[in-house]
Amino acid sequence: MNRVRSTITILLFMAILFSLSFVSWFKSETLYSDSERRGLQRFPELTVETLFSGSFTSSFETYTQDQFPLRDVFRKIKAMGAFNLFQKQDNNDIVIDDDAIYKLEYPLNESMLDHAADRFESIYNTYLKDTDVHVYFSIVPDKNYYADDSAGLLKLDYNHLFEHMKENTPFMTYLDITSMLTIDDFYRTDTHWRQEKITDVADYLLKEMNTESDLKTTEVTLNLPFYGVYHGQSALNIEPDSISYLMSESFEQCEVISYSTGTAKPIEIYNMSKASGKDAYELFLNGAEALIEITNPNAKTDKELILFRDSFGSSLAPLLIDGYAKITLVDIRYMQSSMLGDFIEFDQQDVLFMYSTLLLNSSLVLK
Amino acid sequence: MLFSSLPFLYYFLPVTLILYGLVPKKGKNFILLITSLFFYGWGEPKTILLMILSITVGYFVGIKIEQNLGTKVAKRWLIVSVIFNLGMLGLFKYADFFISNLNLIPFVSLPLLKLALPIGISFYTFQIMSYTIDVYRGDVSAQKNFISLAAYISLFPQLIAGPIVRYKDVDEQLTHRTHSSEKMALGIRRFVMGLAKKVLIANQLGELTELFLASKDQSVVYAWMYAIAFMLHIYFDFSGYSDMAIGLGKFFGFDLLENFNYPYISKSITEFWRRWHISLGTWFKDYVYIPLGGNRVSKSRHFINILVVWFLTGFWHGASWNFIVWGLYFAVILMIEKNVLLNGLNRCKVINHVYVLILVSISFVIFNATDLSAAVVTLKTMFGLDGASLYSAETAYMISNYGFVLILAALGATPLPKTIFKKLNQNAMMQKFFDVSEPVLLGLCFLMITAYLVDGSFNPFLYFRF
Repeated sequence: MNRVRSTITILLFMAILFSLSFVSWFKSETLYSDSERRGLQRFPELTVETLFSGSFTSSFETYTQDQFPLRDVFRKIKAMGAFNLFQKQDNNDIVIDDDAIYKLEYPLNESMLDHAADRFESIYNTYLKDTDVHVYFSIVPDKNYYADDSAGLLKLDYNHLFEHMKENTPFMTYLDITSMLTIDDFYRTDTHWRQEKITDVADYLLKEMNTESDLKTTEVTLNLPFYGVYHGQSALNIEPDSISYLMSESFEQCEVISYSTGTAKPIEIYNMSKASGKDAYELFLNGAEALIEITNPNAKTDKELILFRDSFGSSLAPLLIDGYAKITLVDIRYMQSSMLGDFIEFDQQDVLFMYSTLLLNSSLVLK
Repeated sequence: MLFSSLPFLYYFLPVTLILYGLVPKKGKNFILLITSLFFYGWGEPKTILLMILSITVGYFVGIKIEQNLGTKVAKRWLIVSVIFNLGMLGLFKYADFFISNLNLIPFVSLPLLKLALPIGISFYTFQIMSYTIDVYRGDVSAQKNFISLAAYISLFPQLIAGPIVRYKDVDEQLTHRTHSSEKMALGIRRFVMGLAKKVLIANQLGELTELFLASKDQSVVYAWMYAIAFMLHIYFDFSGYSDMAIGLGKFFGFDLLENFNYPYISKSITEFWRRWHISLGTWFKDYVYIPLGGNRVSKSRHFINILVVWFLTGFWHGASWNFIVWGLYFAVILMIEKNVLLNGLNRCKVINHVYVLILVSISFVIFNATDLSAAVVTLKTMFGLDGASLYSAETAYMISNYGFVLILAALGATPLPKTIFKKLNQNAMMQKFFDVSEPVLLGLCFLMITAYLVDGSFNPFLYFRF
């Protein structure tokens, strides 16, 4: 190696090494990553115990990754390297096709399906078996189900998933909504469906549950970009989505109470303060809530619905309200199903278990 | 601590470079010793004591051997050294293997020791043995300076995954080594290339092999893809680590010996083992094979010598039957080659390469299996003997996802890129272009590696378990 090349090599390498090192050592800690929607590792506690147990060193390695200067820029460089240099189909399981972002959900985990079915059966046997309730079950396919083959996704065996769940929940009437959705009914940058696109799903469910409804809605589109959960994970510059919600005069009379903290707390059907927050989809029924009651004094019937649901249910529930005097939304990810009896008296209601394939395939979170 | 980690690159390395640069020549080995002990103790601080004990025993035994050179006393001290080091290996690496095999005998039920394997113990015990043996043979003088000997054994660039540096190769460099900007630049180039091999290529191939092993949809094509990916993964992982070690050695003035020389272009298994993990092969040749008589003995004794060396080579890699089978597999092939195949192979172009690649890929399936039965399962899938489908949707996805990396890795495992670079570099115009573009490309490569480390959680290192 000649002198010129040696000198430039040393200068450049040392410049990168020492500049990034010094910034790493002296920069203040970042507590939260907006793009990844998670808290970042802070400098770990250094004690004799943490040092000798190895927990300090492993936490320190995570700390160096999480607190690295220009972290988001480096994540972007990596994503570009994976897709453009190494011609990868996915980067950290994120697949991008024509400005739409997907996350690989693979393989099918039968034990998780069994766990979900067990949880449902346990709830059925404990609370529903000896009552006059009508129990329904519906599965929301994730958007990978509708992705075009050109996206090059490795897909779950969805038919097997649906059949397996149906076979293991014979105590429920299955409502198939797969044919009512298309890829356009989902956000490009997020996992969820668009509320304004699922009115046909709501109508179908109401009809199958023998309920009348005549909900009149108007679409309102927020003048804010919606960066879905996959947007941050992709680390790339992809056009954000827009987010809309459906307004109705019926909603104005509704009373919405959350019992998530153990005490009754009034909330809104649409929490507009969440619209400009970290996850705009949380505007629907305030995001993650363990137990919500929506009472509609102007409902077409005096029927009640208990909706066991995940986050897909947050945007769907308002569209069902015209058919029920009361809808109780239960999220057993955030509350023990053994506590349901303290809050709900199961009698003659309609009960709908509605879960996405994503949750069923990793159902350990169901309590 | 891994070289391919942010704590090493952006904390340990710059601090070590500053300290090393600041101290006068006399204190440089001391700095290397202190930083090496810190490097070693990072993950498991308790094991530092074990290594210091090994170094201390090696130091005193070396002096005792030299004081009694040519007498039976020297031999006794050498035996002490060998027993101590093999005893350490036996206790920490092999005890549970022997116990679990003894427990297979009816009515025997001994408790397992469950001792944690100290990182790099297989490498540094071999280095200490090479030192005491070389002193005994009179090839080198005993090192009187404890710091220098300790710095040699604990030298962090080669401490945990080699190359196995023999004392006689660095004896002179411990006291009189040169530092130059050219050496430093060469070290940077080698280090960054090694990092790239590890972080950009090996880790991705490692992901593919892990996905295959976890898959419930293994097809024949997928199994072969796994075998090829693992073959390339272990090469890029281990040779990348050796490149980093050699490069880092140059940072501190050391010229460490090469450990790999494009093994996958070999035309026979005999040649493959001259190009793969050269420092281990040389160690066994110098300290086991030659003392046993090498090939200057009867044919039957020669076969036994080969079997012994390859049994030990396999066993060195791990306390498990699949490593022993892996070693003996090569022993059998080498014996067949020496007696029947070698001349023929040298004449059959292309076929000899295919022969080597297939045999080596099969060997690494055995090597990477958790046990022998797991190896048999994968081999059956590769040859369509377990009813697996030829192809599947998962296979198609893996090909489209990792195909390009596999092609890059396959090309990178040959001397082609280096040859092209060398040829272009002979042209005066190109040379000027490379004067600027090569450092810039290295810098960009280093940034890309950093990006992969910032956003990556899959970063194992295969030879850590040895």
